[in-house]
Amino acid sequence: MMMFLVLKERLKSFYGRYATLAGGMIRFVYSFTALWLMSVNLGFMGRLNSLPVMGLLAFICGFLPFGAIGAVLAAVLLAHIYAVSMETALIMAVFLVIVALLYYGLRPGDSYWLVLVPVAFLLKVPFAVPILAGLSAGLVSVVPVSCGVVVYYIILYVRQNAGVLTNDASVDITQKFVQIIQAILSNQTMTVMIAVCALGVLVVHLLRTLSIDYAWMAAIVSGTIVQLAAVFAGDYFFNVSMPAGELLLGAAAAVVLAGLYHFFVFAVDYSRTEYTQFEDDDYVYYVKAVPKVAVSKPDVRVQRINNPAGGRRVRER
Amino acid sequence: MLNEDKLKLMTSIAMFEKREGKAVFPASCYFKSDYISSRMLRSFFYYSFCYLLCLLIWILYSMDWLLNASNLDEVIGMAVRAFLLYAGGLAAYLAVTFFVYRKRYEYARRGMKVYVAKLKRLEKRYEFQSRSKELTKEGIRHDDVSRT
Repeated sequence: MMMFLVLKERLKSFYGRYATLAGGMIRFVYSFTALWLMSVNLGFMGRLNSLPVMGLLAFICGFLPFGAIGAVLAAVLLAHIYAVSMETALIMAVFLVIVALLYYGLRPGDSYWLVLVPVAFLLKVPFAVPILAGLSAGLVSVVPVSCGVVVYYIILYVRQNAGVLTNDASVDITQKFVQIIQAILSNQTMTVMIAVCALGVLVVHLLRTLSIDYAWMAAIVSGTIVQLAAVFAGDYFFNVSMPAGELLLGAAAAVVLAGLYHFFVFAVDYSRTEYTQFEDDDYVYYVKAVPKVAVSKPDVRVQRINNPAGGRRVRER
Repeated sequence: MLNEDKLKLMTSIAMFEKREGKAVFPASCYFKSDYISSRMLRSFFYYSFCYLLCLLIWILYSMDWLLNASNLDEVIGMAVRAFLLYAGGLAAYLAVTFFVYRKRYEYARRGMKVYVAKLKRLEKRYEFQSRSKELTKEGIRHDDVSRT
């Protein structure tokens, strides 16, 4: 435990010293992961699949804010889909424009949820993002998380039906629209997963804000269990089949990721909780103070003492 | 000589500008009603544009039905339903916009009060510093005169 705390302090110190570089690196990794996953799972626009192009795009994204990165990633996604089906690209573009104007017009600044949800689904850790959103953001994050689920299922639809979408040149354009929209709207798995993610965010957020010991741990565990239960309920009521082993592994990975976030952001020592009570003219205050876990970074200095006889002693203190 | 109190104050003002600047300063340029109404006007255009996009998709989706619709009353009934949907959705979205920006304006106003208080404290520091400098200069001049 002490080793992790020291590591945390070192990371904080590193981030404090090289904040600009570290921020750029985080944005680079974030955008490169998204571009790589799009290339692996869609990859219909050949020119965008090469490693130098993805690297260059991710490098440029390293200098942009998250909102602009979201726009770049949306453009790449639309290009991949357009290479297969203009109609699906149009539907996706309309959906993204609606989300951008109606949601991000009111609440700019959390576009990363919209990107992280499809990324987490493609990496087989779908429960991680609702838990992290519940821990770090408010209840409103249900909106971008749910929209991210829709984006993922449109990507999945294009990937699974790429052959049909490319080869149906004889089908009328209006027929294509009817087919695509019906396929997207009648996707019960998508509806179940939207409900699962919304429930996950809700439960985690409500438990995290409770004034109980180990509230964050309780929120993480309960959020995971509730999401799993919601998936199994969806399986039972809507006949939505999902691989159980993959879901359980994903849930375990989500707990680990959320645990790491908890450790780095909210490490407190409940055993040293203090309570106090006081009052002023208007109120009586019941205060619960939980100390944060913190260790000072070990300051190792190596002093080299040169021996005139030729030997050398190194002493650490 | 460095003045530690002044440095702390200036740092806290700079931090405030960095963290809260985006949320506080745009709202503080307007009266409350102007701020909220301008945002509601923007939301009106956003919603209308999005509705038109949805309508476009719906028209493409229902093209066959629209071309084969022989009864004009049926088409008019559909247009009325579409307008009601637009009006209802617009009212709901504008209500959300109103509440969000009213809350944001109140937050910005409180933040601006804190910011102005910090600036006033800094201004007083500067006044105090310049006055003490003047007094020191006068004291030196007075000493020189008395010596001669």
